[in-house]
Amino acid sequence: MERKKTYIEDIDRGIYDIKNDFTYRYKTDKGLTEDIIMEISREKNEPEWMRDFRLKSLEIYNNKPIPTWGADLSGLDIDNIITYIRPDTDMKHSWDDVPEDIKITFELLGIPQAERESLAGVGAQYDSEVVYHNIKQELIDQGIIYTDMETALKEYEDVVKEYFMKLIPPNDHKFAALHGAVWSGGSFVYVPEGVQVDIPLQSYFRLNAPGAGQFEHTLIIVEKGAKLHFIEGCSAPMYRVNNLHAGCVELFVKENATLRYSTIENWSKNMYNLNTKRAVVDKNGTIEWISGSFGSKVSMLYPMSILRGEGARSEFTGITFAAEGQHLDTGTKVVHAAPHTTSTVNSKSLSKDGGYAFYRGLLRVAENAYGCKSTVSCESLMLDNISKSDTLPIIELNNDNIDIGHEAKIGRISDEAIFYLMSRGISEEEAKAMIVRGFVEPITKELPLEYAVELNNLINIELEGTIG
Amino acid sequence: MLWKRIGLKDFEFPKVHDYKKDYIKIEGKFPKEVKINRISESENKYFDIEFSGVGDKFTSFAKKYYNAGIQLRLPRNTKIVEPVKLEFHMDENNPTLVDKNLIIAEEGSEVNIIMDYYSNEKIETLHNGLTVIYAKENATVNIIKIQRLGDSSQSFDSNIAYVEGNGKVNWISVELGSYISGSNYRTYLDGEASGSNLSSIYLGDGIRKMDLEYTMIHKGPRSISNIETKGVLKDNSKKVFRGNLDFKRGSRHSKGVEEEYVILLDPTVKSDSIPALLCDEDDVEGEHAASAGQIDENKLFYLMSRGLDERESKKLVVEASFRPIIDRIPYKYLQEIIFDEIERRLIDA
Amino acid sequence: MEKYLLNINDLKVTIEDKEILKGLNLQIKEGETHVIMGPNGSGKSTLAYTLMGHPSYEITQGGIQFDGEIINEMKADERARKGIFLSFQYPEEIPGITVEEFLRTSKTSITGEMQKIIPFRRLLKTKMEHLGMDESYASRYLNLGFSGGEKKKNEILQMSILEPKLAILDETDSGLDVDAIKIVAESVMKIKDEKCSILVITHYNKLLEYLEPDYVHILMDGKIVKTGGVELANQIDEIGYENIKAEFSNI
Repeated sequence: MERKKTYIEDIDRGIYDIKNDFTYRYKTDKGLTEDIIMEISREKNEPEWMRDFRLKSLEIYNNKPIPTWGADLSGLDIDNIITYIRPDTDMKHSWDDVPEDIKITFELLGIPQAERESLAGVGAQYDSEVVYHNIKQELIDQGIIYTDMETALKEYEDVVKEYFMKLIPPNDHKFAALHGAVWSGGSFVYVPEGVQVDIPLQSYFRLNAPGAGQFEHTLIIVEKGAKLHFIEGCSAPMYRVNNLHAGCVELFVKENATLRYSTIENWSKNMYNLNTKRAVVDKNGTIEWISGSFGSKVSMLYPMSILRGEGARSEFTGITFAAEGQHLDTGTKVVHAAPHTTSTVNSKSLSKDGGYAFYRGLLRVAENAYGCKSTVSCESLMLDNISKSDTLPIIELNNDNIDIGHEAKIGRISDEAIFYLMSRGISEEEAKAMIVRGFVEPITKELPLEYAVELNNLINIELEGTIG
Repeated sequence: MLWKRIGLKDFEFPKVHDYKKDYIKIEGKFPKEVKINRISESENKYFDIEFSGVGDKFTSFAKKYYNAGIQLRLPRNTKIVEPVKLEFHMDENNPTLVDKNLIIAEEGSEVNIIMDYYSNEKIETLHNGLTVIYAKENATVNIIKIQRLGDSSQSFDSNIAYVEGNGKVNWISVELGSYISGSNYRTYLDGEASGSNLSSIYLGDGIRKMDLEYTMIHKGPRSISNIETKGVLKDNSKKVFRGNLDFKRGSRHSKGVEEEYVILLDPTVKSDSIPALLCDEDDVEGEHAASAGQIDENKLFYLMSRGLDERESKKLVVEASFRPIIDRIPYKYLQEIIFDEIERRLIDA
Repeated sequence: MEKYLLNINDLKVTIEDKEILKGLNLQIKEGETHVIMGPNGSGKSTLAYTLMGHPSYEITQGGIQFDGEIINEMKADERARKGIFLSFQYPEEIPGITVEEFLRTSKTSITGEMQKIIPFRRLLKTKMEHLGMDESYASRYLNLGFSGGEKKKNEILQMSILEPKLAILDETDSGLDVDAIKIVAESVMKIKDEKCSILVITHYNKLLEYLEPDYVHILMDGKIVKTGGVELANQIDEIGYENIKAEFSNI
């Protein structure tokens, strides 16, 4: 029998690849030295403790080895990465005040439109600094704070000091240390006790400069009984030199609070995306991760949930789409550190054209975390036989009163399913597209509408050749 | 790195003395072309393989300092029904066993092998084994390994098989003894439509630490593998399970399934599972599943409502979970030995 | 020469080099209902899959003419668009695609006309009511988690929406209870009234009580060995295939 090969088109990067001229008000030299750190800190006019924090992080960075597991990082030459670039503007609260070229970029990415239609607040970062931040007045009236990290550090210094890099300390790994040394930009969100925000906030991170790094820090605190949906989008145009993204996301979900954190990452294929995300969840709180990884040359991204309060819950829904030249090493970590905590993990991956999708996961149940439940499901779809897909979930159980289930599947699109759809008059191409869309549907239905539509448009299938 | 999780980094081998007991037991008559001999240097070339097993240190030690083991060669189309039994029953005078075994099943042959490792509770024994199997086209090797050494013993066991077209290697592994046990099975499904099943049970009690790794490497098209493991952990035991399904490019239309179910009986147990699914080929089906939890309350309640006490009921539920694997052993006497040992460890301890 | 909707001529079919159909002949006219009965392994499902164009089944001899055209080389979707429908014995489960979405795509493809959401939903709802299916099935994933009977009903739902010229029902009655068989039979009768031809493949005659077939064929070892009316089905019910087999081995 003749077996057809499925070809899924590359993600259309049209709008993402629009480059602006590389203009800036200030940038550091390439590489990393104490002087550069001092300069960044001075440029930002930071309190002394933050400058010291940066210097200490640099020291840790210098002493930590590059991780040898996971993706190949040998192409990353940190000495040639510009760590700080201040765009030629200050932060604005109205799009009209944002410089034209930057504004056009964000308009093409649909950010101001989304803000008008479906968001409660928007932050936009361009290279190292946030250029726009705005939040609806009614949210301000409810006591919600949504601003860039630099402003937060000035206006809520005590809060920042209490939480900043407490969940992801600089000695966690080399890139956390790097982040601690050169972090810049990012969003700060504070939702007071009992306040429930039904419309999402969104921060968008755009790296325009070639050969640069983006190190934004996102810190979100959702107080008792409060609720928030936060969306993070990232993209960059394609350059021939490598870029680096080593952001940190620290999420504090208090008692009975709920936080949904959605990410659509569509970096260009010259990007090393070494991002660290972590949430700590108190009693009966909930963290929900929605994670879409489409871009970058190399990603190592494992959002982690620490369920430290009794009855805390985490849900992870992730999709990874690895195409030519991409090694996307993604997954999630869940630590059950308190009794009666529950977690679910639902991961899907697609690989094609030599892309490499790797699911790496950790599920740890502590000695005292009795009565825990967890289900993990990983499914991988291989779209050709030059691609690669691996699944490595680590499960560590340290007490007996638990209920743990894990399953993983790997394979290609079922010929029988294609035949079934074709027998109803649907063409082979469309049948395959439907099956792939169905495969990712559990993820797309969790995405904000405009992203879901975009993702479905990405899956345009055509046939290419035949294999024996 | 294999031993990181159970904390066995610095292991020193004792001096190896001769293993003086007879261990090859053959009942019934084999055709005279079948050659079963004690292992010798003459077969060294078959051990010139890249295989770290439970650790390079252990396999290279076995290659050099073995004091027991067999070389078995089955000529073409020779099928022997009566099992080849290797009984390694260690005692005070033979506390160290380093067995090195070679099994070559030529085209179309078939053999059944039982390897039973036993020692009395009180003796400190050490077992380090290496078994290499070559199953040629259409050959079938069924091999059962039972490790029921006493609680003062340590056991390390590395096994590897190369399976050619339409060949089969079926492993049954029963892990019941030793305070440290490392066991490694690696099967290369080299030929088209080659197949391998690995059925295993493990029981952790006392302070036992186990590191079990089962690997199926699919190279041939239409190759089939199946790993099915059922375990029980009690007391302060710790287990690391690593199940690997690796589909190499060219293994199209292959299928691999891997399952591990573990019942946890005490809050003090530790259970790590690392099932890996590696895939370089799109036209394959790979699946793994793992589950862990306490004994099913409803089953327990049902049995207790029929007058059994809790310990007896738990034992029955555990045995029920092992039974599908043990039933695959076609020798009644072995099944009895295994059930007796399970019962002893579950009830008498 | 009479005009046949389906004309199968000396059809030989192999799967993985094994010959299953060994010279099968069958002619069906517009509006006729035919039944093919036969023991397990006689080639019934092979015939169904071959008519629908399953790529694993290779035609090594003979031809299938449908609506005046040889369709041997046509893919399944082209055959569907020409008006062939197969109710699968084991319908596939497809996660992530809802019944409604799937059927609307399918109807659009077969009719060549864009199906507007609202009227289509109305049509679907009516058809589901006829079949006693709960509305909620429209938004469920295709066959996922459906019981055996629900899957069969879903096949018949698709048939009544897609309005084929030839409906092949492969063991559609298996897995259905008495009430469900009656409901399914009513739907089949309805499309039969629209001049649709029916080919029922079964190994018992539960559905036949309602369908009043024109012809009953016995398929054995890849060939049709006997053709008759309803009485043939009753006969098999009484004496079983073994006796029929004996009858033929004697020849």
